[in-house]
Amino acid sequence: MHTSTKKWLFTKISSLILLPLMVWFIINFVSIYDENYSEVALFFSKQPSKIIFSIFIIFAFFFSALTISEIFEDYIQDERTKNVANKLLNIFAITIPLLTILGIFNLTV
Amino acid sequence: MQYKNNPLSPHLQIYKWQISSLLSIAHRIVGVINIIAITAICIWSLLLLLGNESYHPINFFLNTIFGKFIAVSLCWTFSFHTLNELRHLIWDLGYGFDLKVSKITGILALIGSFVFTILFYLIGKNIF
Repeated sequence: MHTSTKKWLFTKISSLILLPLMVWFIINFVSIYDENYSEVALFFSKQPSKIIFSIFIIFAFFFSALTISEIFEDYIQDERTKNVANKLLNIFAITIPLLTILGIFNLTV
Repeated sequence: MQYKNNPLSPHLQIYKWQISSLLSIAHRIVGVINIIAITAICIWSLLLLLGNESYHPINFFLNTIFGKFIAVSLCWTFSFHTLNELRHLIWDLGYGFDLKVSKITGILALIGSFVFTILFYLIGKNIF
């Protein structure tokens, strides 16, 4: 399979998985964002929200890395700059969810 | 080199604005806003590790009008991106390419995003 076809398939599969996760997250975010520390910490540390939130951010960053690289493809002409931008994007898309998941799995209320 | 002076896609200076192009550009901008917001939410969850005392300023900020405005705005950006992504997935299945249908689904996605914003906020706040 061609690399571009694989990229397109991964984008579409991750967007399909993200649709219900985005709805789940935004409703839960509205219910906790203005609550006190214990309520917010409870949301991020209890099951199943801890697991669903982890899956949500993995797919969100995976999807964003694929789609933002398309934006780079359209707007950055210089190949070297584009490669650096894509590498930084990939590092960002791996580091942020990894740190967050490690953080919330170490969170105790 | 000569090609470096060529206009970049999507050639905004010669574009005739229409619902499809407007939603396409908005979809990209909102997507970038969403990932910035999700990153901020990840940092927010990590700040919980600092403990209850350190969380007071964040709690104070999120309870201000500006904090509530951010929450409502995120409801809209998530709603818009979800509905417009659904529209893209329907296109990928081979449906909705007709110009008239494309305009109607575009308008529906835009209006729907405001309806969903209200719905998500009310459901989140247990008003239903």
